[in-house]
Amino acid sequence: MKRLLTLPAVGLAALVAQGALATLLSPPWCPDLALLVLIGIGLRWSGIAGGLLLAAFLGYATDLVSGSLLGQHALLRMAAHGLARLGNRHLSLRGLLPQAIFVSALTCANAFAMALITSFFSPGSAVAGIALRELLPQAVANALFFPLVASLTARTVARLGDEDGGQRILPLSPRGRIA
Amino acid sequence: MPDLLKRIGAPLLFGFLALVAVVTMVSDRRSLADGGRDLPWWQALMLEIAVPIQDVAGAPVDGVRGLWTDYVAVLEVREENARLRERVVELEEANLQYREALVASGHLQQIASMRDDFETPMLPSEVVGLDVMPWFRSVLVDRGGAHGVQAGNPVITAEGVVGLVTATSRHAAKTMLLLDRQSAIDGIVQRSRARGIVRGRGTDQLSFEFVVRGGDVKVGDIVITSGLGGVYPKGLRIGEVVEISDPGGDLLQTATLRPAVDFGRLEQVFVMLRRGPTMDLLYDSEAAGPLESARARARGRPSS
Repeated sequence: MKRLLTLPAVGLAALVAQGALATLLSPPWCPDLALLVLIGIGLRWSGIAGGLLLAAFLGYATDLVSGSLLGQHALLRMAAHGLARLGNRHLSLRGLLPQAIFVSALTCANAFAMALITSFFSPGSAVAGIALRELLPQAVANALFFPLVASLTARTVARLGDEDGGQRILPLSPRGRIA
Repeated sequence: MPDLLKRIGAPLLFGFLALVAVVTMVSDRRSLADGGRDLPWWQALMLEIAVPIQDVAGAPVDGVRGLWTDYVAVLEVREENARLRERVVELEEANLQYREALVASGHLQQIASMRDDFETPMLPSEVVGLDVMPWFRSVLVDRGGAHGVQAGNPVITAEGVVGLVTATSRHAAKTMLLLDRQSAIDGIVQRSRARGIVRGRGTDQLSFEFVVRGGDVKVGDIVITSGLGGVYPKGLRIGEVVEISDPGGDLLQTATLRPAVDFGRLEQVFVMLRRGPTMDLLYDSEAAGPLESARARARGRPSS
């Protein structure tokens, strides 16, 4: 029950912080904190169904405070969360650099998928022209903020895991080996 | 069997949630194509909750920015004051001359009646949240259906066009800015009346696409709304031409516009409680009731 409330609360707090940062930073440099929380949880938490539901919930919340179509972020957040889980299984993501590269790659994939979906639904729009000069700062900002967000989500998940009777926590090690 | 369920459970859940997301996207796109939407109760509730939270979360940032702005303003105020005093004297003189000319030609009465015809109730609103994603440009304002705001209402400031309301809850509304990549409005050059489409680029500038043949557009020209799209009233300022691309052999040429509105300092906006004829047609008769009552409310008298 506690997890049911805490993880969405952490995600929403990230979204609110992202909204506050958006007033301060130029848009491409504003990190996508909600996405980082979902990646962090994907790398740490073993609950597949819970993770997907959380991703969908945060995605819909993002859609409400963004100009995207309702469901667009929900779909992409679920995909990003799923990819984070897969990445954790099949890639060596121990250390800051591999994680930064992984997060940057996911950010770019997320942006391209976003452009693709928007172009599909709004053919006349210039969304397809998301330029490298916007994508690079966003990837860099996300990579820079990820260690902080990942550490916060890891602590939250660990605390919840302990309190909920030892939910298995996936270690940040290659191919799921116990670190 | 439990093993099988366990194995296919996650993909099944993903598939189901993805399907729901696609269905909501399609229905959302459809309602946007119809000019916007009044959100269903559960989304409206989330938006109602999000608005005060975003307002509070943004307060410290706004506070720091406000302090700095005030400090800089105090430094500049004396110099600006002297400049403005001179300007006021000049403008008063010019204004007097114009009035004299208008009265002399008997046009003043005509202009007064025209103003009545075009008068649109304006609702002042505060911007309480910016788009959290860099790929889109929208804002949340603190006025919604309860104040007469409807999807399709234009949003402006004293400087010019801000955007269009795309979704409303009772006390909040989502507004797509001109800068958004999905935004496109019909504009004309004030000087030469050359027509074109103003599109958002997702950056702090706009594109103005016009036909090269006969399209007299120069750097420094002001582009205003043409009123032809049926969404925005005619004559609202959109931006100023800052660059014109080399047309080459293309029939369509693109100019870069600097928006009239400073979107980086957007705080207070006005929602025009009037939808253009296109929006009214899209909403058909269902909109007539609330729209009329909203107009009446904004004018300070009960709807008849």
